[in-house]
Amino acid sequence: MLRMVGRWGLALLVLFILFALSAVPFEVPHLGEIRPVFMLMAVYYWTILRSSPLSPLLAFAIGLVIDLLSAYPLGMHALVFVAAQWLTSSQRKFLLGQSFLVIWAGFALIALGAGALQWALFALFNAELLSAKPMLVSVLLSVFLFPLLVLPLSLAHKALADDPSSMP
Amino acid sequence: MFSHRPQNTVLETLPLKTTTMQMMPVMLLRVAPAVLILLAVTLMVLHRADTLPVGRLRVAVMDTIAPALTAVSAPLSSLIEQIEGVTTIRDLKAENIRLKEENIKLQQWYESALRLQAENQSFRELLNVKADPALSFVTSRVISDAGGSFVKSVLLPVGSRDKVQKGNAVMSGHGLVGRITEVGQQSARVLLITDLNSRIPVIIQNTRTKAILAGKNQDLLKLERLPADSGIIIGTRIVTSGDGGQLPPDLPIGTIVSAGNEGVWVRPLSGISGLAHVQVVNIDIDQTLATGEIIPPSFKNKK
Repeated sequence: MLRMVGRWGLALLVLFILFALSAVPFEVPHLGEIRPVFMLMAVYYWTILRSSPLSPLLAFAIGLVIDLLSAYPLGMHALVFVAAQWLTSSQRKFLLGQSFLVIWAGFALIALGAGALQWALFALFNAELLSAKPMLVSVLLSVFLFPLLVLPLSLAHKALADDPSSMP
Repeated sequence: MFSHRPQNTVLETLPLKTTTMQMMPVMLLRVAPAVLILLAVTLMVLHRADTLPVGRLRVAVMDTIAPALTAVSAPLSSLIEQIEGVTTIRDLKAENIRLKEENIKLQQWYESALRLQAENQSFRELLNVKADPALSFVTSRVISDAGGSFVKSVLLPVGSRDKVQKGNAVMSGHGLVGRITEVGQQSARVLLITDLNSRIPVIIQNTRTKAILAGKNQDLLKLERLPADSGIIIGTRIVTSGDGGQLPPDLPIGTIVSAGNEGVWVRPLSGISGLAHVQVVNIDIDQTLATGEIIPPSFKNKK
């Protein structure tokens, strides 16, 4: 029970740090527009390594909070995250046995798909086509930063998962 | 990194007979992604149709998360300042000389400003002009600009307890950067003038032509609803008109940088991207009532 609380506590802490990274102002012109999608990294990573029946609901909830906080159309991030979670989860068995490079490439595809979906949804919602350039740069940055972010995530995951009593 | 054995899902690890009873709560929460996607689409449609109290929901989330974001953004902000401090230490000497020269120039400006103020005052008395209502300012740090690629808005850790009201103008440095669209107890959202949904009633300063300044999700703003023969001159300043009563008149916004077949474009005076501090401009209702100054009709009904 205590372990479970600890796990959820740590997961929430990591989520909050990622969330803060996606919200705090960088005070450098245009850096905010091309901000990497940190939350998508968490959704992708946890879907592969810690998939649970609650994952889609969690992805939905995270998306909804981001929508409300950043004044996006309600449900837009939620939709994108659930779709990304769904797609990743369908490829989970394949991805688990692969090298990190393949996982990384998988994230690149998911991030690009998520960006494109968001761009299309936004155009539909506002009935106006916007430049896709900032979104593309943001996806590129996310892909480059993915290994850096996954390292601490993976260490935290190992620290929690290496419980002798649950070892096979 | 991903080499160790994956954890089985909760459902897989349980013996079959205990699954139904013990896992009921989890089963209930186990919503199919397709249902969630449908729910998200429904939310978007309802939001578009304006049938959801999205504003109130946003204010609730904003007010809840604002203290945490304030706590997180403060150290980051000082870190950035320190890094900037280190890089500028080399240029300190040159900067000092430049500032001294600028100071001499500013002293001259100060003298002439005082002279003009006195002159203005005496003219006002001669003409018996009622002064505009006094403006009050609330200075605030920016605690979040989570808008990303498609939405231009920032959060401030000031709210109704600081007398910030919906519709207040928000300035940074030299010009208008946005206006308050949602106010909580301890937080407020600023819709920046570059956002796709931003429309500001403005006046072209030299000709007093009225127009609407529209955000286009990019650095430049577009002048819309211009009369056909408005005689646009590049470099002319654009200020708020005060029409609609939401913003005070004559707040500077930007200058015209191009005019042609693709419309008339305006560059804001202040950089809108990467804001660190802003000022919320409020017409001080109490003071205007006390001194009996003219209050714009639109402000009469406000609290």
